[in-house]
Amino acid sequence: MKLVDKLTLWLVVVLFLATPLSMVISYNSIRGNIYNSEVERMTDVNDKVAQQLKAGQPPHRYMLDRPIAINKVRSMPAQATKTTKFCFYNKHLKRDETRLDVASFYKINNDVYRVSTYNYIAPGELIISGMLKALFWKMLLITACVALTGRLISKLVLSSFQKTLHNIQNFSLHQKEKLEFANTNTKEFKELNFFLKKMTDKAIEDYGHMKEFSENASHEVQTPLAVIHSKLELLADTPINENQALLINDMQNAIDKLVKINRSLLLLCKLDNQEYETQENVRFCTITNSVISQYENWIQLKNLSVTKNVDKRVYVQIHPVLAEILVSNLLSNAIRYNIDNGDLSITLTKNSLTVSNTGLPPEAEPEELFQRFKKSNQSADSIGLGLSIVKQICAVNNLDVTYTYLDGIHTLHVVFAEPSMVIEEQSTETEIVFDKNTAIA
Amino acid sequence: MKILVLEDNRELADSILNFFSSEGYVCELAPTFSEAKDKLISFSYDCILLDIMLPDGNGIDLLKFIKDENIESGVLIISAKDALDDKIKGLETGADDYITKPFHLSELHARLRAIYRRKKLNGNNTELISYNEISLNTATFEAFINGQLLDITRKEFELLMYFLVNRNRVLSKQAIAAHLWGDYTDNLANLDFVYQHVKNLRRKINLLNGNDYIDTIYGLGYKFRSADAVL
Repeated sequence: MKLVDKLTLWLVVVLFLATPLSMVISYNSIRGNIYNSEVERMTDVNDKVAQQLKAGQPPHRYMLDRPIAINKVRSMPAQATKTTKFCFYNKHLKRDETRLDVASFYKINNDVYRVSTYNYIAPGELIISGMLKALFWKMLLITACVALTGRLISKLVLSSFQKTLHNIQNFSLHQKEKLEFANTNTKEFKELNFFLKKMTDKAIEDYGHMKEFSENASHEVQTPLAVIHSKLELLADTPINENQALLINDMQNAIDKLVKINRSLLLLCKLDNQEYETQENVRFCTITNSVISQYENWIQLKNLSVTKNVDKRVYVQIHPVLAEILVSNLLSNAIRYNIDNGDLSITLTKNSLTVSNTGLPPEAEPEELFQRFKKSNQSADSIGLGLSIVKQICAVNNLDVTYTYLDGIHTLHVVFAEPSMVIEEQSTETEIVFDKNTAIA
Repeated sequence: MKILVLEDNRELADSILNFFSSEGYVCELAPTFSEAKDKLISFSYDCILLDIMLPDGNGIDLLKFIKDENIESGVLIISAKDALDDKIKGLETGADDYITKPFHLSELHARLRAIYRRKKLNGNNTELISYNEISLNTATFEAFINGQLLDITRKEFELLMYFLVNRNRVLSKQAIAAHLWGDYTDNLANLDFVYQHVKNLRRKINLLNGNDYIDTIYGLGYKFRSADAVL
């Protein structure tokens, strides 16, 4: 629910609660005023009659349109004026009526006279029903006003909040640009902007430090690794026995893995830093074919049946090194996680690259496998960075990659953002010729 | 062959010197930029191993110096940074090849020999590398045993060449895989193919009555056994 709707709703609820109370107050005040003014008027009439009596003039039966009754009484009561209210049911009008009697006592020439007059006043129900009628229109007007002005004012007041929200939504750590917030004179929004600015600046700074650290660490590790690598090689050339040879081999394997992890992490770092930006269009088909031929041996070893549909003249704007790593990672995954005698299909069109393979069902959600060091099969002899590199390469080059698993088939689908350009050129196609002789006997 | 090694890391420099000295090469070490300049002016080298990150200067600047001074040595860049622009800049500024730390010494050797061969050939493409009954044509990728054409694949040719360059060295499966398939392909998976390729190569050489020079070093890899002194 929108903030303005919520506020409007609450305001209306408060109004509906407060209105009956205010009605009781107005009703009492109106009725009191009517009653008092009526009593005042009739007392005035009585006074006038009394003056006439004093002057010896015979009083008229009606004075100022009020019926007058004059009686002689024996003694003066304690109160000079007496008001009485009668309520009765008017059969003709079919409603309750209220009659107000005002009797005043005067002492004229040693006689005590009681002068009384009466009038009908508006009964309470009439006032209430009138107020209720007005209430309906009043509430309608107020609700409409609140809803309408609420919207307009909220647009005005919340505009800086909306801007802040927009800023935050577009915030990305990769952009390295600090967030700038619009000025506002609302205290709460000022605080919010201040806090957000502090938070995002810190995040950018920390992210930068972290990236710098991982890049520096990776670089610094390379040289010691190179030292160990070379020493092990020299050690292998010295006279050693079988046990020692096995130990050296294990070390070499571990170091190779370490080197690979380090290289992959460095590559990810560089991708983050946009070091592979390019305006060139590479021939994706050539790269795909050459990568496939690199994996020929492995494909034969696992005895996979390959379905290859690679269109010619597919151009994609991507750095050639990245294109090779992308295809290579997709393909090596498709082979590594394939079953023996399984199927492997590679389809390259002008708009997309699809690599699908048979394999065991993934142990994790397919999309989760794009995370670093996430492997479907933890014991597999890989480092678990292949797919996250794929994801990162795609992110940097505005390609869309999805991983699906259906009926025993794993499919990785890369969609090229812009329809890749078709450049008609002289047919000097230098298609990669498959080395048919690489067959393993 | 005379080599100048520019490497500021003492242990790594020692490994390189150790390896190449036992190949019979003359190796000199220059741990800094200024020392390297002095040596390059005074002596001539066949090849220079250049670490791009030196404590007192950038290796690219030294490349410019080599170009300006018309020094004819082949240059192999060694870098800890797998940075692309370094690679491109280096090759554009006149380096002959580029290798990333960490590397196999046998790989470094193979690359160095290739540079040396190219420099020595001086544009003449055809060169035969021979050892006893084996000879390799590096231009046509053909191999011969006693003059008879050996029916081998490109990868097997490269493998044989790698063995010939690194005679009497234990070549680990990892080193062979990295040499044949490069850094980016999955070397862990390629280890099995190394076995297949070596087996095929031995069988094919055997078919033409060549000697079996390749020894299996249990647990480690292979060694091309050669009776003669190093190259």
